[in-house]
Amino acid sequence: MRLTSETIEDVLDLVLVEAERSLDLRDVGSIDVYALLLLDLVVRRARESGAPLRVTWPESPSVRRWMTAMRFFADVKPGLAPRPGSQPITLIPIVSIAREDDVSRLVGSFDDRLSDRYPIDESPRRHFLRILLELFQNIPQHANATGDVLDPHGIAAMHDDGHSVTLAIADKGIGLARSLGLRSSPGLRPDSPGQAGLEQASLAQTGLSDADALRAAVFDGRSRFRDPGRGHELERIFRLVRSWEGAVVVRSGSALLYQSEAGGDVVDVAPFPGVQIALSIPRAVFGIGEAAFGEGGVESRGDPGFNEGNEDDDD
Amino acid sequence: MTTIEISQFGQRLGTRLEGVAAHRVLLAALDGLPPDGQLVLSLRGIDVLSGSFADEAIGKICQLLSSGIHGNRTLVVASPSADLVEDLSDKLAQRKLALLCRVGGTKGTWRVLGSLARPLVDTLELLNKRGSATAKELAEALGIPPNACHNRVRRLVHLRLVREEKIDVAAPNTQYRFHAIVE
Repeated sequence: MRLTSETIEDVLDLVLVEAERSLDLRDVGSIDVYALLLLDLVVRRARESGAPLRVTWPESPSVRRWMTAMRFFADVKPGLAPRPGSQPITLIPIVSIAREDDVSRLVGSFDDRLSDRYPIDESPRRHFLRILLELFQNIPQHANATGDVLDPHGIAAMHDDGHSVTLAIADKGIGLARSLGLRSSPGLRPDSPGQAGLEQASLAQTGLSDADALRAAVFDGRSRFRDPGRGHELERIFRLVRSWEGAVVVRSGSALLYQSEAGGDVVDVAPFPGVQIALSIPRAVFGIGEAAFGEGGVESRGDPGFNEGNEDDDD
Repeated sequence: MTTIEISQFGQRLGTRLEGVAAHRVLLAALDGLPPDGQLVLSLRGIDVLSGSFADEAIGKICQLLSSGIHGNRTLVVASPSADLVEDLSDKLAQRKLALLCRVGGTKGTWRVLGSLARPLVDTLELLNKRGSATAKELAEALGIPPNACHNRVRRLVHLRLVREEKIDVAAPNTQYRFHAIVE
């Protein structure tokens, strides 16, 4: 069983719709980085709500090793340090995005890691850093704009599966519909999220469904700010990734937008707070060829690759 | 003319928060200029310029300039490459503003960032080539009615892409001469 941006929705259905309190992931043979971040947030949110999930983790040692190297267990179980020496098999393990004044440093660390690993071309590298800067700062700027979210828990990670480099960014904050609702809340000042009374924004009726909010943010460049210089970042990123023939997943509330070369659509999904994004960019965009991966995604020779450990090679 | 090196704020720029800090410095520099002074923002040494930083630091300065509260002061950008200013250009377009940018060093070419209709770009390029002209002279050169040309030049003045000078205040209608802000 593979946990991907599609199949993770089955897990969310179980937990969020059918109210299942236990998850059996024993047979999971691989997990993509977007699914990993969503799983992280689902487990964390259940614990915060006082009804923790009982999770049976994947039996595959390689998958567990990869999850550990991605700092998944360290993130969902605070205090558990990542295993020494595990980092080299990952591209970028899970990092926390909490403060805006830390965003540039984080982007710098992503840049250093990418430059260490690849002979990456300058132009796509710069475009990609601009994407990181915009998406990372969205979390401290928007995920808790109402001030009523205990911990939006913004996280990001990257993975290279040999064909594409995937960036995943996720939070469990207010989501796009509530964020855009701040724009239409009379008497509220979206420019000053700390203002007293802003909490009322959570009650504001936006008139936008999650699907409408997703379309408004991604296709129309809508923002909660009326300032004409605001917004359009998601739209621009979406356009850029499409021009690279990459794939985009944006999930917010009960709506998920999926777009790839083959087309795309907004579909209904189980409601979950926040915004979760995955951008899959073909390796060729960065000027790096496809890795010599064997059947099933296990790298067969050469450079130890970031996919190692994320495939059930014990079957 | 005062030149500000944007690299003093970092090489990878950045967030809106960083843009706000830079905005204060740029605004102070603008206030310190003589009434018809020019601020040059040099992007030399910058690796990445995000739209958010650019909007907060530069876009909002352009907005202030076009509001007229800084009089005849002007702002231009000097960038080593065109791709560095892509997001700045997008943000200016969102604000329906425009800015002149010299791309490629001291002998580089001037291009317009942001949103400026083709007829306005043609008029601006002609004026930049001539250095200065009246609306009537520009209209003749462009082959358009004087009123249409006058409207174009007024818009360019409003965006602080050209300067105007009153040349005959005794005439029934005040006459103006328009000057390029770049060489």
